[in-house]
Amino acid sequence: MTTTLETPPRTDPPRPTRRRPRLGFSAGMMAPGIVLLAILSIVPLLTIIAMSFSRVRLLGGVGFDGAGLTYWVRLFTDIDLAMQWVRTIVFFALTVGLEMLLGLIFALCLWKLMRGRNAILSLFLLPMFVAPVIVGLLGRFLTDSTFGLYSWLLGLIGYQGDILGGQYSAFAAVVAMDIWEWTPLITLIALAGLTSVPASVREAAAIDGANPWQTLRHVILPSISGVLLVALLIRSMDAIRYFDIIAVTTNGGPADATKVVPIRLYETAFRFFDLGYAAAIGLVMLAVTIAIARAFVGVLERKGLTR
Amino acid sequence: MGNSVSQPLDRRAVLRGALAGGAALALGGAAGGCATHQDAKRIATDNRWRQFAGTTLNFVSESTAPTAAIADNLDPFVELTGIRVNIVTLELSAMTQKVALDLAGGQSQYQLIYADPYNVLAPYSKGLVDLRELAEDPSLPSMEGGFDDFIDTQFDAAGKFGDGDEVFAIPYDCPTIIWQYRADLFEKYHDRMAADLGFDPTPGLERTWEQYFKIANWFTRNADEVPYGTGHQAKQHGSLMCDFSNVLWAFGGDYFADGERVGRFGVRDPGPCQLASDEAIAAAEFYHRLLSIADPSSISWDWNGLSPAFRAGRFAMCPDWHENAAGNEEAFPGKMGYAPLPKGPARSANHYGGTGISISANTLPNERKAAWLFVVWSTSVRTQLDGLKSEVGGGTPTRESVYGLPEVKAAERRPSKMPNILTAPTMRQAWAPENIGLRPKIPMWNECETTIYTQLSRMLAGELSPADAMREAATRIDRITERGWVS
Repeated sequence: MTTTLETPPRTDPPRPTRRRPRLGFSAGMMAPGIVLLAILSIVPLLTIIAMSFSRVRLLGGVGFDGAGLTYWVRLFTDIDLAMQWVRTIVFFALTVGLEMLLGLIFALCLWKLMRGRNAILSLFLLPMFVAPVIVGLLGRFLTDSTFGLYSWLLGLIGYQGDILGGQYSAFAAVVAMDIWEWTPLITLIALAGLTSVPASVREAAAIDGANPWQTLRHVILPSISGVLLVALLIRSMDAIRYFDIIAVTTNGGPADATKVVPIRLYETAFRFFDLGYAAAIGLVMLAVTIAIARAFVGVLERKGLTR
Repeated sequence: MGNSVSQPLDRRAVLRGALAGGAALALGGAAGGCATHQDAKRIATDNRWRQFAGTTLNFVSESTAPTAAIADNLDPFVELTGIRVNIVTLELSAMTQKVALDLAGGQSQYQLIYADPYNVLAPYSKGLVDLRELAEDPSLPSMEGGFDDFIDTQFDAAGKFGDGDEVFAIPYDCPTIIWQYRADLFEKYHDRMAADLGFDPTPGLERTWEQYFKIANWFTRNADEVPYGTGHQAKQHGSLMCDFSNVLWAFGGDYFADGERVGRFGVRDPGPCQLASDEAIAAAEFYHRLLSIADPSSISWDWNGLSPAFRAGRFAMCPDWHENAAGNEEAFPGKMGYAPLPKGPARSANHYGGTGISISANTLPNERKAAWLFVVWSTSVRTQLDGLKSEVGGGTPTRESVYGLPEVKAAERRPSKMPNILTAPTMRQAWAPENIGLRPKIPMWNECETTIYTQLSRMLAGELSPADAMREAATRIDRITERGWVS
């Protein structure tokens, strides 16, 4: 029997066709959310971008007149705004840094506490539930030179100045108010991380002869670093937009000592109604916030903590 | 069972759909919003006050003592007209923001507007109704005494903008900075102070700012009852500009050339700033010196902080808004004294901060007429008299005729049931055209004002010399006015 094998007709390999991504059912399910996002975020974002290139008229309905790059040129040549960014960064570093440090210390103290932890934690968390504007009003009241408790206490130890009247003291006061309000949040998050550190790991460290500092440095902190990064991310995005407390206490003064970028943005948009320039400032703030968030998320990704 | 094949959506289609859906919903929302704005119903009646009974109006106002008194006394208006009025009171900048956005929205959520001449009237006069049309409408109640009953300078400053004859607002309140002092302390130390200082220290138009400085210093050094002689509203805030302006004008300086016209009637383009002039620099130097001997907390007080400090007995005297007299009388019954501010090399200047009540141009015809009824009522003789007697606040009248009422005349002397009117003799002098101080009425004043008080704050903090602060402010203001205003 002879078998003849016929050479199959030569055909060109099939050209890879561009595969269109199919989302199917999940796309249908996501559509309402995306529509909502379009209304709440995408349309306003596009509008703000358009505003940053326009002079905005309000009377007779909002209208945009083209202004080209006027506001962007002004943005990059505005020395006051540059100073306000520097002030914002200093404020950001001080508040977030001190909140992280104090929050961690308090969390470690509470973690070691065996009795009454819940009661103390409940009291400790109270500032976090106060609206920032109320914190500002409370701070203003407590630092008032006529009847403020803190002014009186500082007077007893020889400080005769007005807390919100001095450039450095006013800056320190608004930083302290933010720390008072948000340190408990860091404590809460860090405490949640600490309670999840396995006892067996700590026992192993103890058996290996690690002292408390070594245990903290090499066992506990690495174990809760992911949680701390999340806390840092949350506070960072908030601190860069810090507004309420300064608005009700110092209004940016004295001598612009507490004028951070969000105060300047509010002033430009809603006091001067220079909406084109405000849009440019706001977009830069948005970009900075996204950059900070991306930096932290990048670190989390490198640590494999995002999945 | 049919064979239904689902068509999967691709990503682009979903995004396209989302954007289209978003736009459609936004447009739909806008259209729906427009559809809800209906005019007030007019009832056929001979009673001109009741033709819009059943209407509800919204009045947005700065949180001030006169508005508190009106809000507390709305029943007579509701009984008279059948119209309900919701009063929303806010801090000035928040109120300005609401008004601007409401005018932009095109629907007049707020039909009645507290039209601050500098924050609302100057930038948004095109968004306000010319009230002459309503005042001349025979189908509406007329304004008793007409426009002429209002104090002239206040009528122009609070109600007009530009060269035209339009009347955009009716004077509604009239806070003005005057010299408020502890008369008991001046009486107690009068002879000693006169002997030490070499002049009669009694406050009045004859006193100069230099003498005010010496009196303040004397109190700080010699009086046991108060730690300091003077206090000021010198926080980095609009109040600092107000406080400084009294000195600026007294020394012959001004913000712009032809300051009287710019202040009284307002202009769109005020020309170059005059703050770098010798007079303005001299004023800044004096103000800097004055604040150096004032209560150190002055730099943390705005207009809401100064009066409580005065009532707490921290200083003997201060330049303060005259509507705070009622509160001061309560703290120091029978011990308060009032006088026009001291004069400088040029004159005495008493900063006027009055406001008018106006109607949004976005209102529909009947709604506008209903709002006019409230304007007429809230600025009437009766209501202004009730405001004087109010226990929750109240200002002083903007009508000449109210000051002439026998009941009011009698209340100018203690014991008085209308404590604010105790300032009336002083106010007559302070509001005289030669003594009133009017800040520039220009559309971009908000930004200029911020520049002024920021540079002054830097001066008080020692960052800038008085001369540099004035020059820096002038340069920045010129930049702001050159940019112009888009309303």
